[in-house]
Order: sequence, then structure tokens, then C-alpha cells
Amino acid sequence: MRLVVTGPVSAGKSTFIRSISEIEVVDTDRRATDETTLLKHKTTVAFDFGRLQFSPNMALHLYGTPGQSRFDFMWDILIRQAHAYILLVAAHRPQEFRYARRVLSFMRQRSPAPVLIGLTHTDQPDPWDAENILIALGYLNDNHPPVITVNPTQPESVAQSVMALIQHYCETQAGVTQPSLR
Amino acid sequence: MAITGHLIEFSLAEIFQFLEQGHKTGLLTVFEQSESETPKNQVHYIWFKQGRIVAAANRSDHHGLVSLISHRGWLGDHAASRFAQQCGTKVPLGLYLKSQGILSAEQIKLLFYTQVMRRVCALFTLLDGWFHFDSKVTLPMDEMTGLSAPATEVTLAGLRVLKDWSALESKLPDPMSTIVSTIEGKPNLHLNSTEWQIWEYTNGNEMLLSIAKQLQLPIRKVQQIVFRLSVVGLIEDVPMVLSSAPANSQPSVFAEEADAIAPSLEFPTAAKPAKDKAAEPSQVSSSFLNNLMGFLKNKS
Repeated sequence: MRLVVTGPVSAGKSTFIRSISEIEVVDTDRRATDETTLLKHKTTVAFDFGRLQFSPNMALHLYGTPGQSRFDFMWDILIRQAHAYILLVAAHRPQEFRYARRVLSFMRQRSPAPVLIGLTHTDQPDPWDAENILIALGYLNDNHPPVITVNPTQPESVAQSVMALIQHYCETQAGVTQPSLR
Repeated sequence: MAITGHLIEFSLAEIFQFLEQGHKTGLLTVFEQSESETPKNQVHYIWFKQGRIVAAANRSDHHGLVSLISHRGWLGDHAASRFAQQCGTKVPLGLYLKSQGILSAEQIKLLFYTQVMRRVCALFTLLDGWFHFDSKVTLPMDEMTGLSAPATEVTLAGLRVLKDWSALESKLPDPMSTIVSTIEGKPNLHLNSTEWQIWEYTNGNEMLLSIAKQLQLPIRKVQQIVFRLSVVGLIEDVPMVLSSAPANSQPSVFAEEADAIAPSLEFPTAAKPAKDKAAEPSQVSSSFLNNLMGFLKNKS
């Protein structure tokens, strides 16, 4: 199973994958060369890859999209082969909401894969609440993806959000037996 | 929770889009910031009801509308203030004066245009400022004419006359984007001829660069119009893939690296067309999902 972790720069994508991966995350971070340098010195130029091997024959693969605001072929490959994806949005950075909205448009045009909205940095000063972030992302009624608050630095929090994403995936798959959250 | 920030990060157009689409009621306060040595410290107040702008002022004493009325010579300042007290907390001052036969409907319209349209449109020229939206504020009847305008209508007017787009540079859509309509049918807003021409391309097939070429417009102008139509909720820009996957014979560094580290991904030999069904992932078995959920449960 392939899950994609996407979102604006510094939303916590690489950290999210590192927190749950059981292998050393393949790090394709490079020195940032554009406006990204204002936020972080390095950014993911290809993608992050992490793996969760939970039985001898079964593994969950996690892919993080490139951090810079260019939609290259790597995005295309990742989203087309994803079973589901999580969009991480830093709740205290409204300047990134428009880009996050563009990510959603890009994804929707290419894949019917279910999405979960993961709100990060909610402990920072002046975070927006979920209801308002959904409006800013273009969800104007109750028909929106599930939203969860996630701390990418905490493995437990990341595990809970992955569970929520898988649950959402199950709900959107007609004819698939839904696993319980036991 | 706070709805606050800097205009350079979350532009006035985006704030208005957010407030209208969220049907918000309350007071938006904009603190102007000037780069000059003597800052103006000008503060602007804009009141919203259900996402529509109902009043605007650059003073907080609720005397703005009274001042506008007396400035036009329609009532003395003292008399206008007295009526403002009489209108109470239920009826907008403009409506009250109309019901008393003191002002005509045309005069109320003129007041609203001066108070809201002209004043708020001018705010789009602000390069930076700090904003705060308070949804707990009671609407001030003594600042209200009784008329209102959708925030998007004001945005459209404000952005049409905007000369300096430097503050919005980072918000403009990529020239490689396409555009799709977000509404059913034709727009209800009054578009100008160039906006209509661009609207005709909302089929998601043409990149902005191509639209600019066909319409013989500078790409900057097309990006600005697309942004304008986007923040008023008519269209959505959809990024295109910048470059296609390299052919097998000449794989890129990243594709080679990616292939080595993430073998479950299939790298195409050429750019695949959009919505390629063959590229869709297979379904995951329920036993896989059950095992995974059980595993994650222990980790969480």
C-alpha cells in the first residue's frame, strides 16, 4: 500500500515520515535555492520515502512530495500510484493556504484517491481553527475530507493520523471489508 | 481562535474570499503600515454580515456615516448624530433616515458607494498591513446605510484598478497552470470583456501561457485576471506538471535515485496522459488493512 504525504514547505512532511518509518528515511533533501530558504535551509527535491514493515510479507510505503512549489513529473508519479494521501497544512501559516488549495486541485485532477487533511503546528501562536482552514481550502459545506490534528514529531500522533487515513480509505472503497479500529 | 495576520502573507482579496465563502459576520480591522519614516498608523474598519460588506470607516467612534451625511450638507452634524441615536440597535441609520423621509434611496446609494465601495477598493493598494477579524462584534447600526455588497464584488472592482501587484506576486498562478470553472453555468458577476475571454478557457486544457498567446495579452495580465477570477470564486487554477518523466534511455538523476530507494513505484518511460486508468493503484486487501490497523493501534 502506498500513502503520499503532501503539503506546503515546512508543513512537516519529512518529519511525519521519519516519525513512523521503520527504515532510515531516504532523504533527498538538498540546499534550497529559492524562496524556500526563508523557511528552511534544506528542502526535499525528489521525495522522501519511508517504510513500515508490519509483517514478513506486508509493508506500508510512505512517500513525501517535493517541498518546493514546482509540480514536476515526480508529483505525477507519486499521486497516480497513491492509494490515499494526507495533506499537511501548518495552521499558523495562512500564507500557505492558497498553495495547499492548489495542491488539492492538482491531486483531484489526477487521482480519485481519498485525502485526509492533517493540521500541524496548532500549538504555535495564532493558529487558525479547522473550520476556517477548510473554508480557506475551498470546502464550503459539510462535504469535506476528514480533518485531524497531527504533531509530526510524535510517532503516536502520526500513527493515529495514518490510521484515520486508512479508515477513510476503507470507507471510500466500495465492497471492501472495513477493518475495525480495535 | 484568531483570524489575524499580515496582508503581505494573506492578501485582502484572500481575506474577502474567506469571509464571503464562510458567510462570516463581524469586524475586519486593517492596520495600515507604511514604509515611510513617519508611519501613518491609519486604521480601517470593515463590517461584514453573512459574508457581505455592510459598512466601512476609518474611525472607531461610529461617527463615520454621520460625518459623511453632514459633509454632503444633507443634515447638520448635530441633527445627524441625534438621528443616529434614535435609530437604536435594530435599524441601520440609512434605512431609518429613509423611513423618516429625510434621505432618498439615491442618496443612500451614493452614501454606500462613498463609504464602502470607494474606501474599501482603495485598500487593495496597500502593500502591507496587519489585519484582525473579530466575529463577536455587534454590528453598528449608526455606521450602516442598510445596503450591502458581496465581498467578491468589491474585490473584483478593487483588483481591476490595482496598478502595483508586487504584494500579490507570490499568489499569482503559475504560467503553466490551466483553469477550470468552479461554478455551474455562467458567472453572475459582471465581467469585463477580457475577463470573459479568459473565462472561455475554463476547460482545463490550455495553459495560461497558451491563453496569453492566443489572446495576445501579456502573461502577467492573464495571471492577474486568473487570480482575480479565482479569489471571487469563479475559477480555480490547476497546476500542470512542469516536465515529463524522462525516457528510459536517459533517466534523470532523481528517477534513478528514486528507483533505487523506492522499488514499488513504477517510473513511466514517457509522460502519461491525464487520468490514465492503467496507472491507478490496485485495491488493497482487507487482510492487509486489518493487519496494518492492528499494528498501528499498538504504536499509537
